[in-house]
Amino acid sequence: MVPIAFSAIALAVGGRLGKYAGWLAFAVLTYTTGLLGFILFQLRSWGGSLVASYPWGRYLGDFTLVADGLSTPFALVISMLAALIAIYSISYMEHERNLHAYFALYLLYSAGMMGTVLVTNLAAFFVFFELMLIPSWALIGVWGTGAREKIAFKYFMFTEAGALFLLAGIVTARFLAGTFDVFAIAAGMERVSVGTAVAIVSAILLGLFVKMAIFPLHTWLPDAHAEAPTPISALLSPAMVGIGGYAAIRIVYTAFPMVLGHGQFVMALVVLAVVTMIYGGYMALAQDDIKRLLAYSSISQMGYLLFGVVSLSALGLTGAVLIYVSHGLGKAILFMVAGIFIHTLHTRSIRELGGLAGRMPYSATATLLGFLTLMGAPPLIGFWGEFFTFGGSIYTGTGFGGVTAPNLTRIWVTGIAVVFSAMTAGYGLWTVRRVFFGGTPEPLKEAKEGPRLMTAPILVLAVVAVVLGIYPTVLTNVAAPFLSQLLSGLTPAMGS
Amino acid sequence: MLEYTPWLSWVFPILGALLTPALARIHPRVRDYAAVGFSGLGAFMAFLMFLGYPQVLKGEASAGFYPLSVEWIRVAGVQVKAGMLVDPLSVLMANVAAWIGLLIMVYSLGYMRGDPALTRYWFFMNLFIGNMVLLVLADNLLLLFIGWEGVGLCSYALIGFWHRDSPEDRKTRWVGEGAEEYPPSHCGMKAFLTTKVGDIFLLVAIFLIYSQAGTFSFLELQGNLAWARSLAEMGLLIPAALFLLGGPLGKSAQLPLMEWLPDAMAGPASVSALIHAATMVKAGVYLVARVFPIFFSAMHSGLPSLIVFFQAVAWAGALTAFVAATQAVVSREIKKVWAYSTVSQIGYMMLALGIAGFLTGDALVAAFAAALFHLVSHALFKATLFLSSGSVSHACESRFMDDMGGLRRLMPFSFLSMFIGALALAGVPPLSGFWSKEGILKSVVEAFQASAQAPFLYTLAALTVGLTFFYSLRVVGLVFLGGKSAHLQKAEKLGHHVHEAPPLMWIPYLALALITVAIGALAPLLLEGFLSMFSPSLSTLAHLEGGEAMEAHSPLGEWLVLLTSTLMLALGGIPAYYAYVAGRWNVKAWVERRPELKALQVFLLRRWYINQAYYRVFVDPALKLSDRAHRVLEFHGLLRFSSLVASGVTTLYSRLRKTHTGVFNDYAVGLMGGLTLLIVLLVWLGLGG
Repeated sequence: MVPIAFSAIALAVGGRLGKYAGWLAFAVLTYTTGLLGFILFQLRSWGGSLVASYPWGRYLGDFTLVADGLSTPFALVISMLAALIAIYSISYMEHERNLHAYFALYLLYSAGMMGTVLVTNLAAFFVFFELMLIPSWALIGVWGTGAREKIAFKYFMFTEAGALFLLAGIVTARFLAGTFDVFAIAAGMERVSVGTAVAIVSAILLGLFVKMAIFPLHTWLPDAHAEAPTPISALLSPAMVGIGGYAAIRIVYTAFPMVLGHGQFVMALVVLAVVTMIYGGYMALAQDDIKRLLAYSSISQMGYLLFGVVSLSALGLTGAVLIYVSHGLGKAILFMVAGIFIHTLHTRSIRELGGLAGRMPYSATATLLGFLTLMGAPPLIGFWGEFFTFGGSIYTGTGFGGVTAPNLTRIWVTGIAVVFSAMTAGYGLWTVRRVFFGGTPEPLKEAKEGPRLMTAPILVLAVVAVVLGIYPTVLTNVAAPFLSQLLSGLTPAMGS
Repeated sequence: MLEYTPWLSWVFPILGALLTPALARIHPRVRDYAAVGFSGLGAFMAFLMFLGYPQVLKGEASAGFYPLSVEWIRVAGVQVKAGMLVDPLSVLMANVAAWIGLLIMVYSLGYMRGDPALTRYWFFMNLFIGNMVLLVLADNLLLLFIGWEGVGLCSYALIGFWHRDSPEDRKTRWVGEGAEEYPPSHCGMKAFLTTKVGDIFLLVAIFLIYSQAGTFSFLELQGNLAWARSLAEMGLLIPAALFLLGGPLGKSAQLPLMEWLPDAMAGPASVSALIHAATMVKAGVYLVARVFPIFFSAMHSGLPSLIVFFQAVAWAGALTAFVAATQAVVSREIKKVWAYSTVSQIGYMMLALGIAGFLTGDALVAAFAAALFHLVSHALFKATLFLSSGSVSHACESRFMDDMGGLRRLMPFSFLSMFIGALALAGVPPLSGFWSKEGILKSVVEAFQASAQAPFLYTLAALTVGLTFFYSLRVVGLVFLGGKSAHLQKAEKLGHHVHEAPPLMWIPYLALALITVAIGALAPLLLEGFLSMFSPSLSTLAHLEGGEAMEAHSPLGEWLVLLTSTLMLALGGIPAYYAYVAGRWNVKAWVERRPELKALQVFLLRRWYINQAYYRVFVDPALKLSDRAHRVLEFHGLLRFSSLVASGVTTLYSRLRKTHTGVFNDYAVGLMGGLTLLIVLLVWLGLGG
C-alpha cells in the first residue's frame, strides 16, 4: 500500500517532463489502480483487510494504512478515475502552459485523495485532507476559468474553515481517548458521555459536510466545479466530495458508535440528507451552464450518500459505497462530456446546444448512461446504490436488523426521499433532451465527436458502470461482509 | 435442455440487441435480418416452454418451477436470487410478448426501411422484447422490477426515436394539437418520467414487503403470510398494497397516470403496436395478476381491510375505461384514437382483476380468466390496428384522419385488417373481443351481491361498450369510406398516389387479424382451456372461504349482460353508422351549431384538462420555483452573505492592523486562538460529562 502514496508524491516532484508528464501520470495511476484492483480481488482470502503500519511519533502514534472492505472500493474508484482523467487531460489541456506543474499537482492531488481514504491515524488523515485541498486550490486558481482566483479562494476558505472544526474534533478526541488511531478511539471513549461525543462528532461532521457540500454548507461547490478546469471538475466532484461520506462512515461508525444511539441526532442527519437531496435537485433544474447543473446534481447525490451513511444498517452502508462508485463513474462521464463541448464547441450553455445525438453518438450514449446511473436505473450500478440505500433505511425504520426499535418517522422520511428521487430523472432526461435531441443550432452544424483521447476514457467508464450494474457482486462481496461486521459490533455500543 | 428455455427466451433477444452494433459493421442487411432472427429464436424458445413444461397447459403447475435459480447478490443478509417462474400466467404472457414482438419485427423490416438510425432501432426493439419476457418470467419482485425498468428505458428511447423533432415532420411524427402538440423527444421523456413516478411507489412497496418478509419471491410471499400481519400491525399494509399499485397504474397508463400514453404515439407505428398496445402496457395488468393470489389469500386470512386494494384496482380500471373512451370519440389523429382505446381496454382488464377480488369460488376463476383472455385478444387486435394505421398514415403522409378518406379500394388489405380489428375491439360477436368483454361484464354482474359498488362499476363499463363501438366505426369510416380528403386530392395532383403497403408489412397485420377471427370462432373452446389452465392454481384461493363458493355465471347475469351490451352496441353503433359509414349525418355541422356540444368536444379534445392540469401543477411550478429559489437563495442571498463576511473581515482586519503588522500573523493568531478555545470547550464538556 505504501508505494502508492509515496511513489505518487515522489514522481510528482520529479515529474517535470513537459508534455510526457501526462503519460507518466497515467502510468503511475494505472499502476496504483492495478494494485488496488488486485487487492480488491484478494481481500476476502486475506482475511478482510490489508494493513501496513509504521511508527510515526510518540504523540502521534503509528502511521497506518489499511485496505479493507470499506476503503478499497473508494480508493480503487479514485485511482481509476484519476488514471483515466489523466489521459483526458492530455488532450483537454493541450493548449495550456506549464503542463508539468499541472500534472505534478494533479498527482499530488490524487495521492492526497487516496491517502485520505486509506489512512487510519486521524492526525495523518488530517494531513492528507489538507493535501487534497491545497493542490486542488492551486489547480483551480491557475488553470481555471472565470473569476478563478476569487473562486479558488472561496473554495479554500470554506474547506479550511470546515477543516479547522475537523481538527478541533480530532484533537479533542485525542485528549479524551488518548489515541489518534480510529480503531482504538472507541475503547478510549467509554467513560465519555454521549452528549460530549455528539459534540465532537458534530465538529468532525461539520468539517466533512463542508467537503461533501451538504446543505447549507454547499455554496463553494457550484463555483468551484463550474470554473475548475474540466478534468479537475471531473475529479473534484466524483472523487473528492464523496470522501466526506467515506470519512463519516469510517470515523463515526468505528470511533464513535455511541453517537448513533442518539435518536434525535441521527434523525437530524437523515433530514439534512433529504433536504440536500431535494435542494440540489431543485437547483439543478434551474441551471443553464451545464457544469453548474452537474455541480448541483453532485450536491443532490451527496445527499443520497449521506442518507446511506446514516441508515444505520449494513445494507444502507453498502448502498452508500455503491452510490459513491456510481456517482464517481457517472459524474466523471458527464463532466468529461461537458469538457468535450467546451473543448470542441466552445460553449457550455445548454441553450446554445441541441440536436447533437447524431453528430456525437458516443458522447450521447455515455451521457445517457451517466444520467441513468445517477437516477438509479437498472442495469446500472446506481440502481443497486439507491436500492440498498433506501432499503437499508427502511429496514432500520421497521426494526428489521434489530439495530433500533421500529421508527415510523424514518419510514416516512425515507418515502419522501424515494419519491423525490424522480427529480434526478427529471433534470437528467431534460438535459439529455435539450443537449442531444431536437434541432441543431446553426453554429453547431459542423459539430463532430471529440478527440479519441477524450472519448475513450468516457466509454471505459460507461462500460464499467454497466458491468458493475449487472454484476455488482465484485464490490458487494468485499464491502458488505466488512460493513455487516462493523454493524454487528455496533449494536451493544449503541445501547450504552 | 428444455428446462433452459425460460432463460433463453429472453436471453436471445438481449443477445441480439448487443450484437446489433457489431453486425451493422458487416452489412446493414445482415443486421436487419439478424435482429429479426434473434427475436424469432426468443419466440421459439417461449413456445418450447409448452413442451418443456407440459403440466402448464394442463394447469397442473400450481406450484411453479424454478429452472436454474441462482444466487445473484448477497448483501448484509439480503439475498437476491435470479430465477424463472413457469406457471400458466407467465408462459401465456411470455408467448404473447415474444410472438407478437416477432410479427412486429417483421413488419419493421418494411416500415422502417431506409431510416438512418436503424442500428439504434433494432437494438432497443430487441432489448425491449428481452426485458419484457424477463419481466413476466421473473420469479421475484426485484428481478421483475429490473425488467420493468428495462422496458421503461426502451420505451423512452423508442418513443423519442425520431428525436430530431424537425418541424417538417410535424404532420407525421409529432403528436397532439394546439397547446398540447408535442415533439417526439418530449413524449419519450414524458413517458419515462410519468411511469417513473409509479415505479418509485412500487419500489417503496417492495422495500416495505421485503423488510417484513425477508424474501422477494412470489411463491414464498404467498406461502407464508406472516409479513402481511406484521405490516398490518404497523399500519403499513394498506399503504404498501396501494404503493405497489402505483407501478401498474403508471406502466399500464391508468388514471391518474394515464397521460403519457396518448402522447407516446409520437413513436413509430411499430413501436406503438409493440409497446403501447400489445406488451409493455400489459405489464401492469400482469403484475396485478401476479400479486393477486398473494393479496387475496392475505385478505381471507384475517386481513379483510385489503379489499381496499381490489376496490382501488376496480375503480381505477372502470374510470379509466370510461374517461379514455370519451376522449377517443373526438380525437382527430388515427393512432391517438387507438391509444385512448388501449388505455380504455386495459381499464377493462384492471376492472376484471379488481372484481375478482370481490368474488369467490368459480366466479373468481372466471373473472381472472376473463381479464387474461381480454389481454390476449386485445394484444392481437390492437397490434393489427396499430400496424395498419402505420401503413395508412405512411401512405397519406399525415397522422390526421381528416387527411385520409376513401382508401378502401386503394388499400384493401389494410382496410380488411383494420375493419376486423375495429369490430373485434368494439366487441361485435362473434369476434374475439366479444367473448372477452362479455366475460368481464358478467363477472361484474356476479359481484352485485358481494359489493354495493359493483352496479356503479357496471354502469361505467357498459357505457364504455357503446363509446367503443362508436369510435371504432368512426375511424373506419373516416379513413376508408367516403370521398378522398382535400389533402389526398392535392397530393394526387402533384403525382403522389396512395397505394397498398408492401407484403412484408401487410402480411403481419393481416395474419394478426385472421388470428383474431379464428380466436373468435374458437372462443368457447379457448375459454374452457383458459379456465382449466387457471383453475387449478386458483382453486385453493377460490375455496378459501369454504361453503359459500359462487357459481361462475348465474343465468340472470347472462341475460342482463346480453341485454345491456346489445343495447349499448346499438346506441353506439347506429349513430356511428349514419354519421360515418352511410355518411347521411353531417356531425361536424351539427356540433358547430350547438354551443354545448362544441364545449363538450373541446373538453374532450383537451383531455378533460387532466394533462394540462398536470403541467400547471407539477411541471411549471417546479421549474419556476427552482428558478426563483436559485436566484433568491443562491445568488442574492450568497452575495449578501459573502459581502457581509468580507466587510466583517475587513473591519476586523483594520482593527487588528493597529496592533499587528503582518497579515499572516493576524490569521495565525486568530486561528490558533479560536482553535484552542474550541478544544478547551470540548474537553470541558467531556470532563463534565
